[in-house]
Amino acid sequence: MVNQANPTVKESANAVTGQFDGGGVLDRAWDWVRRSARDQITLLLMILLVVAGSFLSPVFLTPRNLLNILWAVSVLGIVALGQTLLLITCNFDMSVAMSVPFVGIVAIGLQIAGFGLWPSLIAGLLTGTLIGVINGLIVVLTEANPFLITLGTQTLIYAVALILTQAKTWYGTIPAFNVLGRGQAFGFLHYSVILFLVLALVLEFVLRRTRYGRYLYVLGLNEEAGRLSGILVKPVKVVTFAACGFMAGISGLIMASRLNSTRASGAVGMDFDSIIAVVLGGTSLFGGSGGVLRTVVGVIVLGILNNVMVLAGVPYDAQWIGKGIVFLVIVWTDTLLRRR
Amino acid sequence: MSEMSLSKKLLRILTDQTILVVLVGLIIVFSILNADRFLSTENIHNVARQVSFDTIVALGQVVVLIAGGIDLSVGSVLAMAAALAMGLQSYGVGIAVLAAIGMGLAVGTINGLLVTKGKIVPFIATLGTMTVVYGAMLTYTQQQPIPGQVEWFKVLGAGSAGPVPIPTIIMALFVGIFHVLLKYTRFGRNLYAVGGNKEAARLAGIQADRPVFWAFVLSGLLTAVSGVLLASRLNSSTIHMGQQTGLLVIAACIMGGASMLGGRGSAMGAFLGILALAILTNGLNLLSVFSFYQTGIRALLLISIVAVDAFYATTVRKRMMEASAIGAQQAQESAGSGG
Repeated sequence: MVNQANPTVKESANAVTGQFDGGGVLDRAWDWVRRSARDQITLLLMILLVVAGSFLSPVFLTPRNLLNILWAVSVLGIVALGQTLLLITCNFDMSVAMSVPFVGIVAIGLQIAGFGLWPSLIAGLLTGTLIGVINGLIVVLTEANPFLITLGTQTLIYAVALILTQAKTWYGTIPAFNVLGRGQAFGFLHYSVILFLVLALVLEFVLRRTRYGRYLYVLGLNEEAGRLSGILVKPVKVVTFAACGFMAGISGLIMASRLNSTRASGAVGMDFDSIIAVVLGGTSLFGGSGGVLRTVVGVIVLGILNNVMVLAGVPYDAQWIGKGIVFLVIVWTDTLLRRR
Repeated sequence: MSEMSLSKKLLRILTDQTILVVLVGLIIVFSILNADRFLSTENIHNVARQVSFDTIVALGQVVVLIAGGIDLSVGSVLAMAAALAMGLQSYGVGIAVLAAIGMGLAVGTINGLLVTKGKIVPFIATLGTMTVVYGAMLTYTQQQPIPGQVEWFKVLGAGSAGPVPIPTIIMALFVGIFHVLLKYTRFGRNLYAVGGNKEAARLAGIQADRPVFWAFVLSGLLTAVSGVLLASRLNSSTIHMGQQTGLLVIAACIMGGASMLGGRGSAMGAFLGILALAILTNGLNLLSVFSFYQTGIRALLLISIVAVDAFYATTVRKRMMEASAIGAQQAQESAGSGG
C-alpha cells in the first residue's frame, strides 16, 4: 500500500510496476497505522465515538450492539464498496440513492406480477448492473463530469420509479425473500453482514492482486499515463461503473428483503453517505489510492457515528449537520496532507 | 474565418447561440400545441414571475461557474433563507430578511474560504456545506412549514407593478447589474481569466483566489435574496424549497453558455437558460403532463446538456483550438518567409 502523501522511490516504482511489497498481515496493518496521519485521525474519531458510546449506554460495547451496527450498515456498506472502486479512478456514482430502491422495486414488482423468487432476484441484479453500464457509457463517451451525469441519472431513475409505483409503497409477496436481509447464520450472524464482508474481501483481492485492480489505481493517479501505457481506459471505466451498479443491485435486494417493501425514496442520502464512508476510510477523493478494506473501516465508523448520535438523542435533522461537518473535516485534512 | 465551410459556420452558430435556438423552438412548439392558454397574458405573467426566483440564483451560480467552480449549496441556502425570513418575523420583518441575507453571505464566505484557503475542490466543499445547511434548516424549522405573520410581506414576491410582477423587476435589475459586472468591470474580466486558465491568470498578475472567493460570496448572497423573495411570494416557507434548484440552475447556466470547465458564461445566458426550462415546465404543465414525467424529462435534459457540453468542450473545442493554432502558426510562417 502506497502512502500517497509521501511515496518513496521504491513505492512509486512498485505502484507503476504493480508489485506490492509483501510482509505479514500484522506488519502491514501496523505500517498502515503508523504512516498515515490521516488514518490516525479516523482512528482517533473511532476511539472518541466508542468512548462516547460506552458512556451513553451500557449496552454500547456489547457484541450484540456491535453486530447490530454491522447489520444496519451492511446495505450502505455494500454500496460503498462499489463506490470505492469508482473513487479510486476519480469517478463517482451518485445514482445509487435511487438505483438501490429501484432494484427493490423491480424485484418486488416481479414478485407481485407472479414471477418466482429467483427471477426477481436475478432481474434486480441485472437492473443494477444495467444502470451502472448506462452511467459508465455516458460518462466515458462524453467525458462529462461523472458527478453531474450520475446526479442526472439519479433524478431520471427517481422519475421512473415514481411513475412505476405512483409514489406508493410496494410490499413483497414471497416470504422466502426476507431470508436475505433478515436471516441469520448460526443464530446471530446476519447473512447481509456475511455478504458484506465476503464481498469486501473479494474486491480487496481484485484490487491488490489482479491486473484490473492495478489499472484502477493507475487510472486514478494519472489517466493519460495509463492510456499511453496501453490500458484500455474506456472499457475499464465502464466495467467499474457496472460493478458499482451491481453492488447497488445487491444492496437494493437486501434492503427490499429486509423491509419486505420498497418505495422510490427509500434510500435518500445514500449517495452522500456512501461517499462519506469511503472518504472516512481513507480512500482519497483525488483517486489513485485507498482500498475496500479501508472502506469497511469507514462504513463501521459511520455506523458507530450514527449509533452514537441516536444514543445521544440527536434528532434526525441534526444528524445531517454532524455528518456534513465530519465530511468537511476529513476532506480538508485529506487535501491538507496531499498538498506539499 | 472565411476558410470555414458553411456547415462549420452553422455548427458554430448553433453551438454559440444554442440557447436562443432552444428557446425559440420551445416557444414555437408550445404555441402550436396550446396557443390559447400558453400565450395568454395570465400565463406570460405567471411565467415571468416564476422565472425571477431561479434566475437570481442562476446569476450567482454563473459567476461561480465562470470562475471555474460550482456551488451545490444553493438549494439548502434557499430553503434556509426562506425559513429565516419567515421564522424570525417576530423580531421584525426587516430583521428577519437581514438575517436571511446575512446567512447567505456567511455560507458564501465559508464556501469561498473552503475553496480558496482550504483548497478543497468546489463541488466537494459545497456538497459538504449543502449538507450542513440542510441539517440546520431541518432543525430550525422542525420539519414544519413556517407561515408568515404580516400580510404586506407578500407584496415583494406576489405583487405586481401594473402588468409586471415585482420579482421580475428585481430580477431584471440583477440581470442588468451582473451583465455589466461580468462584461465591463475588472472583476468580471479577472473572473473569466481565472476560470479559463488559472495558471495563465496567475502569471498575468491576477490573484487567482480573490475573484473565486467573491464569486462564492455573491452566489450565497443572491441565493438568499431569492429565498426571501420566494418566501414572500407564498408568505410561508417549506422544507421542500430549493430541492430541485441546484441542478436546475447549473443546467440552465450551461445551456446559456457556461461550462463546467470555467471561463465561459454570461448573465444573459443564465437568464435565457432559466427561461427555457421554465417555459418547458410551464408548457408541460398546461398540457397536463404528469409531474413525475416532468421530473424525468428534466433529468434527461440535464444529462443531455451536461453530456453535450462536456463532449463539445473536450472534442470540438479542442479541435477548433488546434485548428486555429495551426492557422496562426501558418500565418506566422508565411509572414516570416515574406518578410
